[in-house]
Amino acid sequence: MSRALLIASFAFALVAPASVPAQTPNAVLIQNATILTVTQGTIEHGSILIRDGKVAAVGADVQVPAGITVIDATGQFIIPGIIDCHSHIAVDGSVNEGAPAVSSMANIADVLNPADVNIYRDLAGGVTTANILHGSANPIGGQTVVIKLRWGKQANQLPFEGALPGIKFALGENPKHSNFGPPAGTPARYPATRMGVEEVIRQAFTEAREYKKHWDDYNQRKAAGEHNQIPPRRDLRLEPLVEVLEGKRYVHAHCYRADEILMLLRVAKEFGFKVRTFQHVLEGYKVADEISTAGVGGSTFSDWWAYKMEAYDAIPYNAALMRERGVLVSINSDSAEEARHLNQEAAKTIKYGDLSPSDALKLVTINPAIQLGIDNRVGSIEVGKDADLAIYNHDPLSVYAVVQKTLIDGQVYFDRDRDLAARPGLEKEKQALLEKEKKAAEEEKKQEKSEKKQEKKKTSKPGNASNLASGAAR
Amino acid sequence: MNPTTSRSNGSRFDFTANLATQLVSLLLICLLALPTFAQPASRVYAIQGGKVFTLAGPPIENATVIIRDGKISAVGTHIEIPADAHVIDAKGLEIYPGLFDPVTQVGLTEVGQVVATVDVSELGDFNPELVAATAVNPASAHIAVTRASGITHVVAAPGAPGFELNGGGIVSGQASAFNLAGWTMEEMQIQPSVAMVINWPSIQTRTFDFASFSYKEKPYAEAKKEYDKSVNELSDWLARVRHYAQARQKGSPALYERDLKLEAMIPVVEGKLPVLVIAAEARDIRNSVEFCSKQNLKMILGDGSEAWKVKDLLKEKKIPVILGPSEQLPSQEDDPYDKPMSQPAELHAAGIPIAFSSFGTSFSRRLSQYAGTAVAYGLPHEEALKAVTVNAAQMLGLADRLGTIEPGKMANLIVTTGDPLEIRTQLRYLFVNGQLTSTSNRHRDLYEQYRKRPEPAR
Amino acid sequence: MKLHPGHKRESLILVAVCIIAIFVWAHAARGEGGEPRYFAITNARIIPVSGPPINNGTLVISKGLIQAVGPSAPIPPEAWVIDGTGLTIYPGLIDAGTDLGLPKPEEPAGATHGRKPTVPSEIAAGPEDRPATTPWRVAADELKIDDKRIASWRNAGFTSALTLPEGGIFPGQGTLINLAGERSGDFVVKPTTALPVSLKPIGGFFSFPGSLMGTIAYVRQVFIDASWFAQAQPVYDANFTKFDRLPYDRAERLINNSLRANEVVLLPGNSSVQILRALKLADEWKISPILQGGYEGYSVAEILAAKKALVLVSLKWPERSKDADPEAEQTLHDLRVRDLAPSTPAALAKAGVKFAFYSDGLATPKDIFKRLRKALDAGLTPDAALRAFTLDAADILGVSDRMGSLEPGKIANIIVADGEIFNEKTKLKDVFIDGRWFEVHEEPPPDKPEEKKPERQSDFPEAVGAATR
Repeated sequence: MSRALLIASFAFALVAPASVPAQTPNAVLIQNATILTVTQGTIEHGSILIRDGKVAAVGADVQVPAGITVIDATGQFIIPGIIDCHSHIAVDGSVNEGAPAVSSMANIADVLNPADVNIYRDLAGGVTTANILHGSANPIGGQTVVIKLRWGKQANQLPFEGALPGIKFALGENPKHSNFGPPAGTPARYPATRMGVEEVIRQAFTEAREYKKHWDDYNQRKAAGEHNQIPPRRDLRLEPLVEVLEGKRYVHAHCYRADEILMLLRVAKEFGFKVRTFQHVLEGYKVADEISTAGVGGSTFSDWWAYKMEAYDAIPYNAALMRERGVLVSINSDSAEEARHLNQEAAKTIKYGDLSPSDALKLVTINPAIQLGIDNRVGSIEVGKDADLAIYNHDPLSVYAVVQKTLIDGQVYFDRDRDLAARPGLEKEKQALLEKEKKAAEEEKKQEKSEKKQEKKKTSKPGNASNLASGAAR
Repeated sequence: MNPTTSRSNGSRFDFTANLATQLVSLLLICLLALPTFAQPASRVYAIQGGKVFTLAGPPIENATVIIRDGKISAVGTHIEIPADAHVIDAKGLEIYPGLFDPVTQVGLTEVGQVVATVDVSELGDFNPELVAATAVNPASAHIAVTRASGITHVVAAPGAPGFELNGGGIVSGQASAFNLAGWTMEEMQIQPSVAMVINWPSIQTRTFDFASFSYKEKPYAEAKKEYDKSVNELSDWLARVRHYAQARQKGSPALYERDLKLEAMIPVVEGKLPVLVIAAEARDIRNSVEFCSKQNLKMILGDGSEAWKVKDLLKEKKIPVILGPSEQLPSQEDDPYDKPMSQPAELHAAGIPIAFSSFGTSFSRRLSQYAGTAVAYGLPHEEALKAVTVNAAQMLGLADRLGTIEPGKMANLIVTTGDPLEIRTQLRYLFVNGQLTSTSNRHRDLYEQYRKRPEPAR
Repeated sequence: MKLHPGHKRESLILVAVCIIAIFVWAHAARGEGGEPRYFAITNARIIPVSGPPINNGTLVISKGLIQAVGPSAPIPPEAWVIDGTGLTIYPGLIDAGTDLGLPKPEEPAGATHGRKPTVPSEIAAGPEDRPATTPWRVAADELKIDDKRIASWRNAGFTSALTLPEGGIFPGQGTLINLAGERSGDFVVKPTTALPVSLKPIGGFFSFPGSLMGTIAYVRQVFIDASWFAQAQPVYDANFTKFDRLPYDRAERLINNSLRANEVVLLPGNSSVQILRALKLADEWKISPILQGGYEGYSVAEILAAKKALVLVSLKWPERSKDADPEAEQTLHDLRVRDLAPSTPAALAKAGVKFAFYSDGLATPKDIFKRLRKALDAGLTPDAALRAFTLDAADILGVSDRMGSLEPGKIANIIVADGEIFNEKTKLKDVFIDGRWFEVHEEPPPDKPEEKKPERQSDFPEAVGAATR
């Protein structure tokens, strides 16, 4: 099976348009860079030894094993691979199952698209892990999945192993469809107010509780040996909500206004579940204490505002102020484009909020890792953690920094030099294929003309047996 | 000051005069204390001790800039500080011309999704007589927010597409340049008409239909027909304008009716008012350049996402480009991932004049970030600075007044902690139209307000 | 005319003759009269497919079945003997996916250029509304045998086809038909042969399902409901005094029946991502992985082999749309796929994946063989192509016990050609279906083949993404 995988990966690589880097050796040493570990300070002229996809050693005096492949990173800066806590890349089809109010049966993991070129583009921006979310068209949306941006691999090789699955909630204008409406003749969908949004969530969890009760009851009676039972129907919509109640699934709630943030905290308390992160949470700064007391993370924009009414009070100091009050904050992209420069977005908190550079860097590395429950593996450069790294040519918090290489599990998935070198070849191949198609189309036209002539001759003769493959004479 | 001491010769008149002087001084002091928007420019400033980047020559260390009556009156070292000058100590700081965002919707829109607050695109395809300045809201929160990032003046372009909104119309109206400080448009206005905005029609095989909320496709042949129709209409319009212009110039107004639309286009056909043609795809750029060349219009290309594909044509026809955000996704799937970021460098190397703009409102403050990113991908730093200050001014005929720190120019200046293109650089002082202007804005206000929120009861 | 008693006997005879005539005529109308159903073809080269070719042999047909095949065979005296010198006998070709005999579904108001309708007339709020689910539609019940294409296919060597209803997520059940008969019932070989599943989100933004993931979740729920029904109904029936009455759900019942009858479930899979996704879903739903489409199969042939997947390969190789903007970007990915797609059959054959071909809405058999030619040029052997059109197709569709090869006892669907079957110059001489002889006629040039527009995977408005941030 692994041979099949290898062949398939190779074959897939043939159709992945952007350059897929060659295999990186299992043991690699990256040498002589400024290493920003995030959790253990900065190391000047440091090296990282990678083995089996993990960081085996990091420091100023790492021993160079004999015969090992060395990547010279002199003058460069290495940070942990960026983690984007709000992304919609790599999804086949719509990111929204917007028709029902509750679409928790839909699962992003079913529709991962490993061939989305935005995976590559975000890799080129230093992102190694992304939280792929359902859209915000429903108060309770679909199930979500954390992936590593393993460009060139198959869909089933993208999900982050061991990461808890998630589900998307949405509050405010989007789930009540307030900024767009159905076509004429189609009824509008409940809810149309924030009151209705709350009600949908409460109703769904009420049903989930009952559902769980029915199943527990059934299972108990079955275990007690009772035969002739009709099992309850399995409801794919309610099962993820039961998992939320059982703490087995993270809730990522898109929200804007302070009052709806508090609303969800109340509802969560009522039903006994925890919200893992508030997403966008642009008015989080107004209720930062409540958020931090509830232990919920905040994943927000750097400086987006005023595109919707509920974003009118958004401020670029949101991250800083929430953080000041004890909220674990990350900065996300919600956009394949924004994800390419999350390092710049994080840097904005130095200006808006006076964060230190090292605290600013946390907002796109260790903080989102903790929010997603994967900080045991990623988010910082430490021995034993995954070798997910982004290498820049300048201080990563500078606008002038450009990603040179991105590694995931110790493999180089993006290499700027190789990307630049591959361009002429790809262009040449493209032109050759276009030429080939053009010639084939011309050939076909010629043939069709000659066939038409032949047909005209034939219709004057009495019926012959038809050619099996008539017309394809070459 | 004791009114009875100086110049007193016991006359009752003198006593009153001295009191009057004191009252006037008191009034002036009170005025100073208020956050100034813009007032009759009667202040004198001296910015001292900083490094001045005039963009008209090499930077000057430890220099002085004198501002008087809204204009820069002197720049250099060893300059005498006027006695009445408000002195700003800029030691350790840097001084640059105020940044200029030449294509925005600032003032024309407040909240993108709230239609009542949006005045960007009028109905109909031909609206040359509309002027953006008419609809700019001086009280828009975007104005103070944007200038807090170092942008001192902008152009609001009607009909131009942006983050929150799609563009509208073909000839959408006249773009207006104004300062980001003032009580009314009359005070803010730099020039109500700097360019005629034309959204170049595209061959649309795929359009989003809001009624059914899905994409609708049509065959190329049909889409091309619609495109040809639009372009023909545009060229017919221009012919009518020329006729009207001729009648106006040579004929008697009593014999024909006045037409506001045709009249508004006269400066365009006379080559006096440039057309800002917004086109992103290579084909649209090519077609619009050829059209404007044939029609003898002075063209500035706006957006230009695929300008790199038609570099030679732009160079040949000497078309300057006001680029949209350098941080966007490549327009085609196979384009190099960094094409939008490296394109400015590529165009500059080909000798094509470029300027940066945000094409937006709430993202206008990212202007310096776009320029900085272009530097990261190969544009020389000095050129990037020019591309956010003087280049657009030159393209729009404002370079005599704006874009560099030279005596005689409008005193739009920023004093910063460092490189204005770098993200963490802070703005220390802001001068708009020769006035020291506050950088407080809605965002800072909300920040301070909520910072003070006491801890809630648990 | 007054009836004389003397004429009584004559009248009786007249009546008897009339009755017999009617009887005979009626029988003739049912096809019972006419040519005796015994044929033999001698001295022919025979390609049974299920065994090695016979260079000079005899094939005997008797009452709809193949009676004998071999170097020599006893020929019944009733048989019409055809001298097969210089001729080759093959099993009739099977088109494993068409809509022959089915009227085109009405294009609902609002549909544009063949793309899916934009807003369905009935809004579905969730899976319980069973959107676009009509598994009770059986193609056999809707056959319109006056479809001119049937004769056209037959004249090209096709003796059978899987005809599939269209429209919706569970459009219905496909029927295997022979391409000849007097009434529609005569055509039907196996009424419920296949259950096609479509993953196209038919709902749009305002009706469920509006996304691919929603559609997959829906199909998953339907299979779960079907299996629940299988569990619940017998328990209820045996103990109905103890349980709340079960509601009636037609879809549940029918899907359950299909699964129990091991009906072929067809999952769509064209690109490599879709193929791998379909394999994963087939695993999850515990159904045999039978894929429909497969044009990027060349890139995942080994995986298909490892999963023992079966593929119905569409001969409509992806092409640049003729309506498209000539200056629109052709991505390198699309160019590579269009270049390599015709090599899929060869790759599948090499990897040992069993596959069949289907015409996927191509307008004429001429088109079919033109596309086949591309596959042959890309490395598919004529033997493998023949197998895909005959025995392997029959195998995949679960009828290889009755057709697909020249063996005694199998249905006499046979074609006789004057050369190698896929050679352009080869002409077809005779076609037998159910042991009835059809002379092959010259095909008139088609007036205007109306090709179905290639269905693209549902795109979704990015604008919605911006609106739902």
